[in-house]
Amino acid sequence: MDSRVSLIGEFYRGLPKERAKVETYESGFEYLERLLTDGMELEYAEMPHMGLLHKYKLSNIPRYRMVELLLSHVEKRANLCLYFHDEANSLFCFNLDNNSKTNNTALIPEMQLAAGLLREQLTAIGCEPLLVASGRGYHVWCRLASPVANKQLYDLMLYCMARVMAGLHERGLDYNKVKANFYPDPRTQNVVSLRLFGTEHARNKVFSRILSGDAILDEAASWAAFEEHVRTKTIADEAFQKALSTMAAAFRQGA
Amino acid sequence: MKTIAVDLDDTLNNFTETLRGTDFSNEASYGIPDETFHAYMAKLRAGLADDSDLLSTEYTYFRYKIHLQCYERADARADGIEFMQWLRKNHWRIVICTHRDLRRCSDSTKQWLRNNGMPFDHLFMALHKPNFCKTWGIGHLVDDHLFSIAQGRRHGVQVFYPAMEKHTSIEPNGARAFKTFEEVRQWIQG
Repeated sequence: MDSRVSLIGEFYRGLPKERAKVETYESGFEYLERLLTDGMELEYAEMPHMGLLHKYKLSNIPRYRMVELLLSHVEKRANLCLYFHDEANSLFCFNLDNNSKTNNTALIPEMQLAAGLLREQLTAIGCEPLLVASGRGYHVWCRLASPVANKQLYDLMLYCMARVMAGLHERGLDYNKVKANFYPDPRTQNVVSLRLFGTEHARNKVFSRILSGDAILDEAASWAAFEEHVRTKTIADEAFQKALSTMAAAFRQGA
Repeated sequence: MKTIAVDLDDTLNNFTETLRGTDFSNEASYGIPDETFHAYMAKLRAGLADDSDLLSTEYTYFRYKIHLQCYERADARADGIEFMQWLRKNHWRIVICTHRDLRRCSDSTKQWLRNNGMPFDHLFMALHKPNFCKTWGIGHLVDDHLFSIAQGRRHGVQVFYPAMEKHTSIEPNGARAFKTFEEVRQWIQG
């Protein structure tokens, strides 16, 4: 098996693998017939842009077909996006997007500052994140040793993001320019998915590069940083609980 | 296999009538005061575009929540139900083709179709429906949207649209207006 597939599988080990969204330029009823074999089902499909990119939300994916999809992901033939579990997860992610209607792939100062502040905030409470360029901003992933209730994950993300937005405001920047979504979000379970690291953005063809310090790494260095993160940056159960307690206490005190 | 794409809102249902005629109430989940609620409802019912430079705002979230209610409350056209059942009996492949954000409403959309006895094979969200039909080799599209009516012929797609007030000033551009789905049935048989 391609070692990148194993690595991706290891990082995202906690996410459901029987459902996924696949982004590809392949289309047509013959393609759909080939795709929907082995019991796989299409919940719906999207052709959301003027071009030919298609997105297929699939369910009942057998294990070996998921491995095939992961391979197509790292080989850049398709992008794979996964959903989160309904109750508890061993990953959480902030999805920071440029909220502008026009030119929203531009890296705006608000986005750079928000990503930096979020990394500082998470690192300070013992939850060092992995920042992946997403096309319109960043996916800020944190990997946990074991599953944590979604309510606790959401609370921690809310506390952290409130601090980040306050940081933008204090510096005279408009926090409305950054749209922040949380994964998992109790309101949108099984509704929204996130693209995995290790592929190209479907439209601009830019690899999902990792932000290290102030530098965006190239593809090879991003894979190395990803591997390093899997090996050394997993957050222990006690560390997560301590981080949550710290942030909750700070907010109770109005910090 | 013969394939047809059919839109939902204001084609198979009475979405706009539901939006304008339903007595919606302000809910805590919208997170807005009554004054803002009424202003947003008026804007929504008037079909005004959002003038913000931002993609996601308090208003866009509100619009999404109200639209979700309309999707569920809207009535199906009786002749639309008969048409869809006729398509199934005559072995057409039926693609529901909508602008709805299916990430958030695919389950309720499927349930509405089932509750109203409307068979379908696939559910698609397409921003540019004529382009979608061309890409998938679908020759027929039933859709009220002005853009589809204007662009269908250019993409080799025969568009049929339910005649509505908003269509009075447009060039049909090869698209055909209908009063009942029975007309569409006869046209696609011919």
